[in-house]
Amino acid sequence: MVIENVLAALNELATVQTFILMVIGVAGGLIAGAIPGFTIAMAVVLTLPFTFGMPAVQGIATMVSVLVGGLSGGLMAGILTGIPGTPSSVATTFDGHPMAKEGQAGLALGIGVWSSFFGGIISAILLMTLAPQLANIGLEFQPWDYFMLVMFALTITASLAGKNLIKGLIAGVVGLLVRTVGEDEAVGMARLNFGNDALLQGFDFIAVLIGLFAFSRLLHDVRDPVSARKRLSAGTGNGNISVAIEHLAAIKIIFKHWTLLIRSSLIGVFTGVLPGAGGSIANILAYDQAKKTSKTPSKFGTGTPEGIIAPESSNNAVEGGALMTLMALGIPGDVTAAVMLGALLVHDIVPSPTFITEEPVLAYSIFLSFFGATFMMLGLQSGMLRIFVLVTRVRMYMLAAIILGLCGIGVYAIHNVEFDLWTLLWFGILGVLMRQFGFPLAPMILGVVLGNIAELNLARAMAITTDLTLFVTRPWALFFLIIAIFSSAFPIYQVYRGAKKWTMFYLPVACFAVSGPLFMMGGVPRTTLAAVVVLFGAYTLWRRQQAGWVFE
Amino acid sequence: MRRLNQDAVIAIFLLLASGILFWSTFSIRTPDYGVLTPAAWPRVIIFALALLSFLYLIQSLKKGVDDNAVADREPGLKSWLVYWQNPIYCFAFFLTYLLTLPVLGSLIGGVLFVFILMSILGGVSKEKIVTHAALSLATVGGMWCIFTFGLEVILPQGMIFSAF
Repeated sequence: MVIENVLAALNELATVQTFILMVIGVAGGLIAGAIPGFTIAMAVVLTLPFTFGMPAVQGIATMVSVLVGGLSGGLMAGILTGIPGTPSSVATTFDGHPMAKEGQAGLALGIGVWSSFFGGIISAILLMTLAPQLANIGLEFQPWDYFMLVMFALTITASLAGKNLIKGLIAGVVGLLVRTVGEDEAVGMARLNFGNDALLQGFDFIAVLIGLFAFSRLLHDVRDPVSARKRLSAGTGNGNISVAIEHLAAIKIIFKHWTLLIRSSLIGVFTGVLPGAGGSIANILAYDQAKKTSKTPSKFGTGTPEGIIAPESSNNAVEGGALMTLMALGIPGDVTAAVMLGALLVHDIVPSPTFITEEPVLAYSIFLSFFGATFMMLGLQSGMLRIFVLVTRVRMYMLAAIILGLCGIGVYAIHNVEFDLWTLLWFGILGVLMRQFGFPLAPMILGVVLGNIAELNLARAMAITTDLTLFVTRPWALFFLIIAIFSSAFPIYQVYRGAKKWTMFYLPVACFAVSGPLFMMGGVPRTTLAAVVVLFGAYTLWRRQQAGWVFE
Repeated sequence: MRRLNQDAVIAIFLLLASGILFWSTFSIRTPDYGVLTPAAWPRVIIFALALLSFLYLIQSLKKGVDDNAVADREPGLKSWLVYWQNPIYCFAFFLTYLLTLPVLGSLIGGVLFVFILMSILGGVSKEKIVTHAALSLATVGGMWCIFTFGLEVILPQGMIFSAF
């Protein structure tokens, strides 16, 4: 069955046109990733208008290619100039740039490129094998569970996205509200349109995303007239790069640290699965873990290969995890996956637990394009090094003006509706204001994406029974509610960790609370897992008591 | 105090917006069928928004300091305009692009938008004008060609273009 699906997907993908589009996508993603300030999500969202005219498989393959390229593009600029192209490459610069300065730029780039490649491949394998299993779990979800899952995704994103939880939650709620404007999907009644006929269709999701994310980001970047006229990176002379990537030496070093590679990739996948977390968190987490477990932690920051392997393998592995929850549950793991969800919805594909079984060709096309794009990334990154570095020498004002102009055409092309351009403008202004006032955009984007899913499941739940207690008594719903509460409290826990006595009990209480719904689910594996979680909580509590109520 | 006011003002604005939006949900028609009325979900969200805005207001009043306040500019309208001049240019020209779209169309309007915006943001010199013109023509023209001929999307032609 799996082989049949793989072959069918391969048949769909194996066209010259798709191959060329994927190569262009990876190259575009690599270039976008190399530009400081140009995020991967921005590159993917700007690609979206181009894919509407394409068949679903081709369009999605192109988007996945941009995504994979973007994940790796940041390392070039990070290693050679010390300025990470994307937030997910920040930790790469800690050791990559010192290595380059010591004359080992070729080796540093090689380690970065191959770590990205292996991280991507490990992630793709896990995506292919675990997504169907996760979808099987997702089949257990009823509307109450789905509704609570959406609430969990929003709260955890709000708590991870910014410094202020309330601002994050407000952003998420505003996102949900934006989605309610226009005709109600269930019964077709006009809502919150204030008598405006254009608003009856609601705000176009893609125009909102581009406005909020790309438009506002560009305007934020050109805010300072002096820096807007400067080159994005001035540290590479005239772009005359004569560095040759040392592939063989890099592979040998990576294989020597294979446990680090696998561990970092797993950190990446896990971070990707978690809604709200992304590459920017994964690369720091993996770097931190690598340093803690290294035999020579003092070398970190001076140019050690381990400091490149960990962040680069983890940030490339993130999207496999994010795509996993997207494809298996229909819940995007991060902003980039939210854009991918938008792309699927545009092609009338609604990811859900039944998606992989009902649309196997498309699902396996996504898996395979992730694989294929990772190989393409390896080839292109080695061959286009000079271009990536030259790209970092573009002046911000030029980039901003061109992209704004292209947004003006691309957004119109989605539905051939001029109102979408107005949506782009208004949400661009809103995005700038939100950035300025410290409201994170990620929860709002997730709110816009998940608003319909939440309402639909609420309506389904209410249609089955008006008993609201099911939102807190069903095992899965309760499970998501509990982790939503504890993830919301996590930023406060981090602030007061060790300073307040209650923080001693945060982890044990979280373990005890989570084990409750796991016990309720029944079955041997989940009951065992629940018992392990309880034991871990009790052990943590005991250790802290033994240590005299101080953190170990 | 100015820093405190910024967050408090936003919170008050959000509270007022919640009130207006909640009031407007009463004009949503309720059909005779279905358990969840079309107004129910927006009301839940608006209630949550109001609650969070209230907490935000209390937080901003108690905190007394706003981390997001702009520290690198002088107070006053003139300084505000100087600080925000580039985003204001971008919005103003994009607005002009939208308003002139029926006349200029996406090709002429787009090229002009990119060219003018580049020249305003990047400054003007002979060399720059040539670069800006070439870049705007190549990028917007290229994009227009991809959509029109490659993806067969009908973009706004505008009165000038369609006259030919």
